[in-house]
Amino acid sequence: MTRAFVTLDNIGKRWNGQLGVEGITLDIEEGEFVALLGPSGCGKSTTLRLLAGLEVPDEGQIIIDGTDVTGASAAKRNLSMVFQSYALFPHLSVAENVMFGMKVRRVPKKERLEKLHNALDITGLLGLEDRKPGELSGGQRQRVALARAIVAGQKLCLMDEPLSNLDAKLRAAVRKDIKKLQNDLGITIVYVTHDQTEAMSMADKVVLMKDGVIQQTGTPEQLYSEPATTFVAEFVGAPPMALIEGRALKGFKDDQTIGVRAERMQLVQAGQGRLACTVTDCEFLGAETFIGLEHPSANGLTVKLDGKAEMTIGSGVEITFADQDLHVFGPDGRRVQPENIPTVLEEE
Amino acid sequence: MSRFTKSFDTIGAVALAIVWIAPLVFAVWAAVHTTSDAVNFRLTSPWTLDNFRTAWDGAPWGKYFLNTFILVTIVLIGQFIVTTLAGYAFAQVQFPGKDFAFLLVLLQLFILPEVLIVENYAMVSRLGLFDSILGVGMPYMASAFGIFLMRQAFKSVPIELDEAARIEGCSRLGILLKVYVPLAKPTYLAYALVSVSTHWNNFLWPLIVTNSPDTRPLTVGLSIFGAPENGVDISIISAATVMSVAPLLIAFLIFQRQFVQAFLRAGIK
Repeated sequence: MTRAFVTLDNIGKRWNGQLGVEGITLDIEEGEFVALLGPSGCGKSTTLRLLAGLEVPDEGQIIIDGTDVTGASAAKRNLSMVFQSYALFPHLSVAENVMFGMKVRRVPKKERLEKLHNALDITGLLGLEDRKPGELSGGQRQRVALARAIVAGQKLCLMDEPLSNLDAKLRAAVRKDIKKLQNDLGITIVYVTHDQTEAMSMADKVVLMKDGVIQQTGTPEQLYSEPATTFVAEFVGAPPMALIEGRALKGFKDDQTIGVRAERMQLVQAGQGRLACTVTDCEFLGAETFIGLEHPSANGLTVKLDGKAEMTIGSGVEITFADQDLHVFGPDGRRVQPENIPTVLEEE
Repeated sequence: MSRFTKSFDTIGAVALAIVWIAPLVFAVWAAVHTTSDAVNFRLTSPWTLDNFRTAWDGAPWGKYFLNTFILVTIVLIGQFIVTTLAGYAFAQVQFPGKDFAFLLVLLQLFILPEVLIVENYAMVSRLGLFDSILGVGMPYMASAFGIFLMRQAFKSVPIELDEAARIEGCSRLGILLKVYVPLAKPTYLAYALVSVSTHWNNFLWPLIVTNSPDTRPLTVGLSIFGAPENGVDISIISAATVMSVAPLLIAFLIFQRQFVQAFLRAGIK
């Protein structure tokens, strides 16, 4: 068995008796892009801070690159970090900010300037060396933070919601930049975000958390097509999976919950559908239109239609879906594999 | 605001300014005229610098200036070191009894330094610092006001900056010197202004703890120079007074923009 580059083994951390994170077990391979995803307060930032050495876990073990660093200081873990607020030193220029760590580690001046030039070149900041952070735009500050993280040449880079202070357009661009950077440098990135689009589009592996516990770990496809719990089903994907109570459909137990994706539902003529609902809204996005539907025992029902579709709000429609497109969850919210429904994996 | 209250405000401000500046204006007026011209307010009488010459020759002013300069420098350096370390400890270090210790420091703000003169005198004598410049400055180095000010300044530094420096491998002292201190620069400047002007003008404590011209600061020298047994000549005393406040006044006029800005920035936090 090959040993993982980073291993978190049953990590727990509590704040004054209150739960922070519990039983976090996670293997990260070298060169992997791992996204810690979850709503605010789910413990994803705490996990990152434990990994960074900014907090000490109450229990468990952290191994980075073969060394047990559970109680080691942040400095000894050979990693870099990008903060949500960028944490640029306001009194230092761009160049001094990027070189801060190298000065602390007493890297010779010649090497320092070379690496600085390199990092600024990669991040497109050449010419801004003497500016103070206060004189830069949000996107530029973000890139200075990136440059500071990559200049040290550490193999592991932690990012705490680095894009949340950027506007939507810039976010999409920087997302690509970060992904490219990671590919070019071959570094391992652990990336915290609450935005499932970010996690799904960038990560090799997504770790979805809730209330301090990992809900599911897997590739973006696994999380999308095989959600382990109803929480994952509702969190991943835009729009999220619709959840229907078992008793509203024939052939399912009352305490089961049935999930179905928007693109797997079809509108049909009255009398031929499996569920009769009311139209609540129409969302036109250009290539497709999402029709929001309402049913007393279903949540988040949405049908995806190609192109532009006109529906009268308040009108009644019927929908249908194939059995093999359904996800079945037991009374505890966990996924079950009923015999008569082939799973997506078996389908492949 | 109505026009009446607005003009009332202006008149009030001007009146207060006149009251405030009058003694200084009179001292300058008296210093450049003969005594009889000065007290009789003969506005057309000739100006003279004789008073300055007489005053300068009457006491070792050069030595006094040097003493005061050394005194305020020593006090300021000592205060910077003590308040930086204590302020950082109270702002960012967790240790048992921290709140109680900080309470004790704050209580010190309520005690007038004059109350402690006898105790300080005994302590300075025990340390063998009687009649030395270090002895004059020592009791003021652990300034409660300064510690409080630095604590507030350090508390306002975003914790991410501390963490970022820690991840880059900075030691605790390194973080203090490279992150906290530079970010608290406006506070240091504002505090330096208060400290220097206070200790430049301090009189009672140096009077008690010094007894030779070698250690006396300006204020004590000035009071001895102007004591009744030397004969009171208002023009000469004014000349000596103008001399002793001049460096501080000039420094303030030169740096006044920076000082005001420093106070504003330190105050916003």
